[in-house]
Amino acid sequence: MHIPVFERGIIPPDPVAPDSLKGIPRQKTNPSRWQGDNWQDFVRDLQSRGVTVCEGRADCSVFMTDAGGVAYSLPHGVVRPNSAEDISKVLRAAQAHRVPVTTRGGGLTTEGESVAFGGLLLDMSSMNRVLEINSDAMTVRTQAGIFWHQLAEILRRDNLDYLSAPLNLTASVGGTLGVGGIDVNSPRLGCSADQAVVLQVVTPTGDIVNCSERENPDLMERVLFGYGQFGVITEATLKIRKFTPITIQYFYYSSLRTAIEDLQFIAREDASDYSGILTILDRAITLLVAFDSDEREREFNTRWKRSLRGHGEAGFGLRMAGHYTMHPWRIKEAAYIIGRRFKLFPEFWRPEFMHHGKIIDRTVVFSRAVWKFWGGPQMVIPDLSSKAEKFVEAVERGNAVCRKYFRHYTLYCVGIKLRGRLPRYEMSCIPPDASDIAYGCEFEPMLRGTNYSRDYLQSFKNEIYDIGVDMGLSYYRFGGMMKGYIRRAMGDELVDKHLAMKKAADPAMVLNAEVIF
Amino acid sequence: MSHTRKGRARALQGGATIEDIAASVDACLLCGSCEPVCPEGIGIASMNMEQRSKLNKLRTNYPPWYPKPSGINTRIKDNALHNSIILIAGEYPGFDIKAHSNVIKLLGGNKKVSLAADDGRDIAGLLEAGLPVSQDRIDNFIRPLRHADKLVVPEGLLHVPLRKWLSGKKVIGIGEALLSSAHIRKALGPEDLYIIECRGYHSDYERLVKFYDRLRKETGCQTNLDLQRIAIPTGASSLQAKKDVEAAGCLEQARWIIRGRSMKRIVVEDIADLDVFQRVADVPVIHISQFSGDNS
Repeated sequence: MHIPVFERGIIPPDPVAPDSLKGIPRQKTNPSRWQGDNWQDFVRDLQSRGVTVCEGRADCSVFMTDAGGVAYSLPHGVVRPNSAEDISKVLRAAQAHRVPVTTRGGGLTTEGESVAFGGLLLDMSSMNRVLEINSDAMTVRTQAGIFWHQLAEILRRDNLDYLSAPLNLTASVGGTLGVGGIDVNSPRLGCSADQAVVLQVVTPTGDIVNCSERENPDLMERVLFGYGQFGVITEATLKIRKFTPITIQYFYYSSLRTAIEDLQFIAREDASDYSGILTILDRAITLLVAFDSDEREREFNTRWKRSLRGHGEAGFGLRMAGHYTMHPWRIKEAAYIIGRRFKLFPEFWRPEFMHHGKIIDRTVVFSRAVWKFWGGPQMVIPDLSSKAEKFVEAVERGNAVCRKYFRHYTLYCVGIKLRGRLPRYEMSCIPPDASDIAYGCEFEPMLRGTNYSRDYLQSFKNEIYDIGVDMGLSYYRFGGMMKGYIRRAMGDELVDKHLAMKKAADPAMVLNAEVIF
Repeated sequence: MSHTRKGRARALQGGATIEDIAASVDACLLCGSCEPVCPEGIGIASMNMEQRSKLNKLRTNYPPWYPKPSGINTRIKDNALHNSIILIAGEYPGFDIKAHSNVIKLLGGNKKVSLAADDGRDIAGLLEAGLPVSQDRIDNFIRPLRHADKLVVPEGLLHVPLRKWLSGKKVIGIGEALLSSAHIRKALGPEDLYIIECRGYHSDYERLVKFYDRLRKETGCQTNLDLQRIAIPTGASSLQAKKDVEAAGCLEQARWIIRGRSMKRIVVEDIADLDVFQRVADVPVIHISQFSGDNS
């Protein structure tokens, strides 16, 4: 088909069915969204600067969705940068030609934040080298496109480990620092973003800048937890530690409230090195407590263990048997819980990951379990984050929503140690009223074996997000398709303040423009 | 641009053709490491061979490392072998007839172990390239093997098809076969880096991960397993590496495997790894068949 070329600013007739549009002026359906303007000039500009833009169908389709599997779109082209200089060239050209740029690491967003709705996609996974391990300062300097798992592989050769990272093998360092990053040791060590010491950032206007808490601290505070709005993280210097195998203890509850209160007690008392709650529905609630050293475990056993109200597995099994004997019409639920337990728990005790009763490579063990038992082509994981005092209510209300929508689901709760009131926490997953330790809960339906419509899943997510609006909470994920909640949850004043900062830093509003604003 | 396995699936879902992702399909070394870690349990390596097969039907120019797409129908006359164990191993530099004899001795001697005259090397090459293998050729290959209980097959790529063609037979690699002997295991120690042959290992991962974990705990030897207990491949057995070992990335992979490790010897299961590690390591590199079982 021949498509005639028209002068810029002229609205052409529709090339597909011109007859059907007689007398009807052609209009853009969404004039605020970028429509492909200047793309060819932009590509030529980049090519002249030595940057390769891949525009093939195969290259672009790779990035058509994210882990959420609900948002689908294609970029016009993809750049796999080799250096900060490449990214600088991309962003300078993007500003000049007003072409949107979406950055992507492991693509583990769930609301389409790393899906490019046209424009250029920066595939950061090409920048995946560890640059320096400093075992005196206990830091590692790495390119930001590296996955945490790759980083762990490299650190382990020197018997070292990172501090905290998402329990997912394909999360990238840069992407994680941009949103927070929560691990089961976050009640003690905080978010992954708080482990960053120095960052190299390419600003939206293409400047390559180093930042830390001393050097360009304002940029550092904007980029961490910044959802990719204020720069592309190209290198990160992170704190590291000696590698340690861990021991785990499990406590079982039938009450969400009791389990959460005990989780908060452990976090408040700093009684363990790792803690979190994983549930099977709201019937079998497991509080996981783990330790880096025998000394810490001994101290826990001596000082705090007796205060916990959870049961051992045998005791809990007997209580469950009693409960379901009294409620025989729920026998299917009992069968599901038992089946789930027998499938899931052995994954945590696989002999190849155990040594002298301790789990080695906990990241792998947990991440494999997450992929195997909670993963899938579509990851629907709305979440809420709250200060300690509101957390039980938030989880109980979210749990009621899960019950309403799904037969099978799980909740994952964890604490997040805060470093005071840092500017980086403003308009982030950290709730505005939290101090010392914040708490987060993910609500995850088990989707396998049942086909739910996109509307049904979205309705479920909306009901969870509405709880956040109602209670004044925050969310780990508040970008992408749920950005409509930002003003409701955080207020116009705060959002406008950040929008003004964004406009100042990114005059053409091209960097990750679809994520937040 | 190269793609991961998932990337290739996405590309095809997004409307790309098999020819669009040809470079990526050809680049795969078929080490099989993607299969055990696939959360969906997808047989990814075999999918890749199928994609090569589809690609071959569409193209006329084959990569330079491909075996000849036609005219291969090796017919080696081999009588039925009646011993319970059959070693299917061809001759390679460093793994010659003398080494075969040693392996047979270690596995129980000539009364128990036979050496197949046909090593199926051409079949492995055709399968790897996604080229057709005639049923006649397959029949010729497996006919002498039908009386055996156990097949010891150093070529890991043949493990899955042999299990399919000769269902009920135990198909194991040369490493597992030899390491089942306590004498051989005793020859390994903490200062050894033991390189597991990837294709065979990943084809029977759930069983072998336990086998090699026991080996590691018993002997203290280091292995090429990563944190996920996936065997890091050099890719030395691949068709691409047979053409150009450096361009296939084998030396780089081998350097990564030995990086940061303290060892006094490297022991390889895959004979193709012998040369690769000899080129990058400054410690002795031996093939497992060089163990004598009592003086190693």
